[in-house]
Amino acid sequence: MSDGVISRLASLLPRERLLTHVEQLAAYESDGLTAFHSRPLAVAIPESADEVISLVRCCRQERLPFVARGSGTSLSGGSLPVAGGIVIALNRLNRILKLDPALRIAVVEPGVVNTQVSMAAAPHGLHFSPDPSSQTICTIGGNVAFNSGGAHCLKYGMTSNHVLGLKAVLASGEVVEWGGTSRETVGPDWCGLFGGNEGLFGIALEITLQLLQRAECFHTVLAGYRTLEQAGEAVSMIVASGLLPGAIEIMDALALEAATAAVHAEYPRGCEAVLIVELEGPRETVEIERARLDDILLASKPVQTRPAQDAEERQAIWKGRKCAFSAVGRLSPDFIVQDGVVPRRRLGEALRRIGQMSKEAGLRCANVFHAGDGNLHPLILFKGSEPGALEKAEALAGRILRMCIEMGGSITGEHGIGVEKRQYLPEMFTADEIDCMKRLRAAFDPLEIANPGKMFPGGEAPVLQQRGLHPLEQAGVLSRE
Amino acid sequence: MQHSIQPQKIGPLGEPMAHAVQACVHCGFCLAACPTYAELGQEMDTPRGRIILMKQVLEGNLPWENAQPHIDRCLGCLACEPACPSGVPYRDLISPFRTLAQPHFKRSPGEKLRRLLASQTIPYPSRFRIAALAGGVVKKLRPLIPSALRPMVDLVPSSVPRAQKLPRIAAAIGEHRGRVALLTGCAQQVLDPDINVATIEVLTRNGVEVIVPEAQGCCGGLAWHTGDLEAARRFARKNLDAFSSDVDAIVTNAAGCGSAMHEYHLMLRGTEDEKRADVFRKRVLDVSVFLQRLGLREIPRGAGRPQRIAYHDACHLANAQGVRREPRQLLRAIPGVEICELTDAHLCCGSAGTYNIDQPEIAASLGEKKARVVVATGAEVLASGNIGCLTQLRAHLAKLDSPLPVRHTMQVLRDAYR
Amino acid sequence: MSAQLAPNSISELVEAVRSTPRLIPIGGNTKPRLSKVDAARLSIAGLRGITEYEPSEFTFTALAGTPIKEIAEALKQRGQYLPFDPMCVEAGATLGGTVASGLSGPGRFRFGGLRDFILGIRFVDGSGRLLRMGGKVVKNAAGFDLPKFFVGSLGRFGVLAEITFKVFPQRVTSHTLKLTVEGADAAASISMQAAGSRWEPDAIDCLPDGATLCLRLAGPPQALDALSREILSRSKGEVLSEDEAETIWIDLREFRWAAEGPLIKVAITPAIWPAFARVIRTLSGARVHVSAGGNIAFLSLPDHTAFSKFDEELRKLGLCGLTLRGDAPLWSGTRTQTIITSGVKQALDPQNRFPSLED
Repeated sequence: MSDGVISRLASLLPRERLLTHVEQLAAYESDGLTAFHSRPLAVAIPESADEVISLVRCCRQERLPFVARGSGTSLSGGSLPVAGGIVIALNRLNRILKLDPALRIAVVEPGVVNTQVSMAAAPHGLHFSPDPSSQTICTIGGNVAFNSGGAHCLKYGMTSNHVLGLKAVLASGEVVEWGGTSRETVGPDWCGLFGGNEGLFGIALEITLQLLQRAECFHTVLAGYRTLEQAGEAVSMIVASGLLPGAIEIMDALALEAATAAVHAEYPRGCEAVLIVELEGPRETVEIERARLDDILLASKPVQTRPAQDAEERQAIWKGRKCAFSAVGRLSPDFIVQDGVVPRRRLGEALRRIGQMSKEAGLRCANVFHAGDGNLHPLILFKGSEPGALEKAEALAGRILRMCIEMGGSITGEHGIGVEKRQYLPEMFTADEIDCMKRLRAAFDPLEIANPGKMFPGGEAPVLQQRGLHPLEQAGVLSRE
Repeated sequence: MQHSIQPQKIGPLGEPMAHAVQACVHCGFCLAACPTYAELGQEMDTPRGRIILMKQVLEGNLPWENAQPHIDRCLGCLACEPACPSGVPYRDLISPFRTLAQPHFKRSPGEKLRRLLASQTIPYPSRFRIAALAGGVVKKLRPLIPSALRPMVDLVPSSVPRAQKLPRIAAAIGEHRGRVALLTGCAQQVLDPDINVATIEVLTRNGVEVIVPEAQGCCGGLAWHTGDLEAARRFARKNLDAFSSDVDAIVTNAAGCGSAMHEYHLMLRGTEDEKRADVFRKRVLDVSVFLQRLGLREIPRGAGRPQRIAYHDACHLANAQGVRREPRQLLRAIPGVEICELTDAHLCCGSAGTYNIDQPEIAASLGEKKARVVVATGAEVLASGNIGCLTQLRAHLAKLDSPLPVRHTMQVLRDAYR
Repeated sequence: MSAQLAPNSISELVEAVRSTPRLIPIGGNTKPRLSKVDAARLSIAGLRGITEYEPSEFTFTALAGTPIKEIAEALKQRGQYLPFDPMCVEAGATLGGTVASGLSGPGRFRFGGLRDFILGIRFVDGSGRLLRMGGKVVKNAAGFDLPKFFVGSLGRFGVLAEITFKVFPQRVTSHTLKLTVEGADAAASISMQAAGSRWEPDAIDCLPDGATLCLRLAGPPQALDALSREILSRSKGEVLSEDEAETIWIDLREFRWAAEGPLIKVAITPAIWPAFARVIRTLSGARVHVSAGGNIAFLSLPDHTAFSKFDEELRKLGLCGLTLRGDAPLWSGTRTQTIITSGVKQALDPQNRFPSLED
């Protein structure tokens, strides 16, 4: 059965771009969610939009599940392969097709790396705003599929807010073109609907991105606080002042420890939490606003504040923050990255409760978060070699997510549902709402071949863990047909 | 990531390898730094992918030969290490793995011959000299040479410089500020013996006495990086014996050698020489680091005019030894010098030990890209700290018909003194 | 068939939808052409009131029939605002109607339009189900982004019942500069320059006279003084008084400059602006307000006679227009039909209770 399918796929691509050998498939088994892996039937590596369209249409014809993959950095299992399906790797569609500095737009293929857009735009004083921590390697296609965020979301929004146009091949095989180079559209926002579809609707082929002018001036401050509560208080004070910083981030002690080890950053000593605030704008505006910010920070009683003196220091502050997730690997190579959202004013309370719950579970938890918009990233550390440790970590993760829902937040701020959180979808949405989303999905993907087994709970569990049944399967939460 | 590797079943190198696999969280940041991912665009040829393959082989879940092409294609440039937020010590995995793989990897007769030739000539300057001279002749008969050997022939210079006899002890000039032992390197002595001459001159001018131990030999890097553990250990032990302890530092002027010597503790792990190897490696410094720390007593005169020097970071200096600042600082000490940085500086030039012989297409692609970047700087000379890079870049600049001279950092300094 | 339904609560709304085979929701009826279809009219005016407002969270939730005026006032009292300048406020536009029409004003230039501030919705779908999509927090990636899809959905896919929006803190002060421009080419050129400049203007609009470009800056007054001086050193113009500025922006917001005939929104770009302006000049009596740095054009025709010519010219330019009011077809210019449109319509409104986009 699969041989026939493979040969039909092989007729679409040169043999060396359809990977079927065991070592080739092994390399694609996971994405950024390391706890899961799944071996695909084959990996197709197209080099043009036409090849992608042919592949998707062939999959539709063969009823063959497929998973689109950029750099495989998803933290929710979004590009985790589906057993019995193929991976369509988009990394070689990596050209910037057009960059128009006057119109401030770029048209890119899905495999273009996030920072490459800003690098290409930089000589014109422009940049691409969404800046997830993985931006040095994650791709625009992935950013669109998961509506990736980053540190500047409160002021500038997420990836979807910067997509002006899309050409995509839907899982139904239809090729569509929506939007264009205008900031506005007439009629429903199709690009907006496609953003964050988690690969369930189809594959983007050409994406028109909005570029923003780089602010003239930045004022970035690192402030250390004795307690996490104080840091949270400081955020509330900043927000209440009417200032609109470009970014407000907090890292707790564990995360600081990791970041220090990774990039040799030097953080103020004796701090349980560090706050990063960044103002930006024309120099006259920043001059005035920074004075206000300084007053506010002073009143928040930090252990120490360190304003960046130049661009290099600013880069260093951000480098420490951006590597924090992966750096936690130094403290404990096994960990689960969470992505919950709580109303910002309840951030302090949320962190306290997370601390409490971790203690009860006997696990350590590092916290990095976009304090400006209440988006938490608890990193639950565990020892994979310890029997039952993964289960305990997953259980703690579940409790944290439920807490977010209970507080009126969300189970995911920017990583998406993917594989990892699908069993929590019914806790956020009613059966009717899930049915509505399933109907929508069916409109785009009638055969359910695009990234099946993701986002929606129940049904086929596409993942196999190395040691047999996944603990959630053992617990009866996930199941396989 | 989680693994079921059993280090005790593997031997002394098992634990470092298992630890490296353990540290990887599969985040993918290394893909942005890996030259083979940039060239080949597939996950098996990335550090992350290679870690998975090596893990599965060590677990017994994947046959050795399946992993082979991708492990062979690894440059060993270690650009993945600074890019990795988790601090995966990739070097503790790749070279040990290659030593374990040696009996299992299949090689064609041509490959075997090439590897044999390389391992039997390059580490032995007198043999290599003969081979290089022969190569210079054989170059003209290129079409008749088996394809497996052609890349070797391509890299041999058309003329081999005259050998330079080095003093056993070079006295410090003026006030005595330090005493070092110099590793003279092997290929370097044949391909560009002036590098050692320049190194000694710069050191002695700055009051440093230079010992050149006679009993030394090849650092063992070539053997270690191509998986010949026994040979690597032999070379290592020889140098452990040859270098005495009454010097301030053991200096190297070839990045590949310095980095190999820093791994002696790994090569000799589980042997009786492990402890002294560990002590030894901590005394090894690249000459630029030693000099910069000591401080130049005499400021070079310079060319008396502005000079634009492009600096190429050898992977085994920048990534393996973390040395980036010191060579630049030394070069900037020359009056009038402006350092030109290369775009995509993190990408290997493709030399990578004998990589340009074993993986000629990838090496050529990287070499050409690097040469173009160098030419684009508009600099008047290219400086670097590794003979492999110098050879590769000379060859590829020549292919572009560029007359740009390629010099070792010590040669540039020495010339600036005169 | 044109009887008006007027529910006063969400449960009444659900009931009204379920019991009516074909209907179109109406807000403040400020964009009447959008609801000129053969269907029962359901007024959402009775669904009125802010249900949640937490200034420290930068979010509010209000029933869809709440007048924008009411919302703007409530936000203003807490020093916050909707940065995209909702239109037709005096005329009585509602929150739901604004979202369904997809109409963002001049302020959309700086921080984005409706789609960039909408966070969550509760709506009644074509099967009469009350559904919640999106969320109430400024950051949320759970589920499909139906809130964005509903922006500009024209009431064809569901009835909005309650909407959650992100807001921003009110800026300290704003300056409006009035610059003299010689024609559309100059206006477009200056717009693009301003857009890429360090000044970070909130709004860049070309008045219907075609000769005046208004730049609105926001921030601390001393900073604005300095920026204004810089701008005026490069372009002829003046800083308007607060009153003059307010009048201009309100006039634009309320379409006071527009004629009696069709009023059409066209999505354009600064690049195509000059060609578009040339087309408009050939239509006698036509007036146009180019907004948001040359990304939106609001076109007013004196009557429907010029429409078919306009339609043809728009098609040649590859642009698409939506008629907001007046006696003219709903759409003009280029439109591509896709299969997925009917697929999504099927998913949200299987019984075709609401009109289609073509009606």
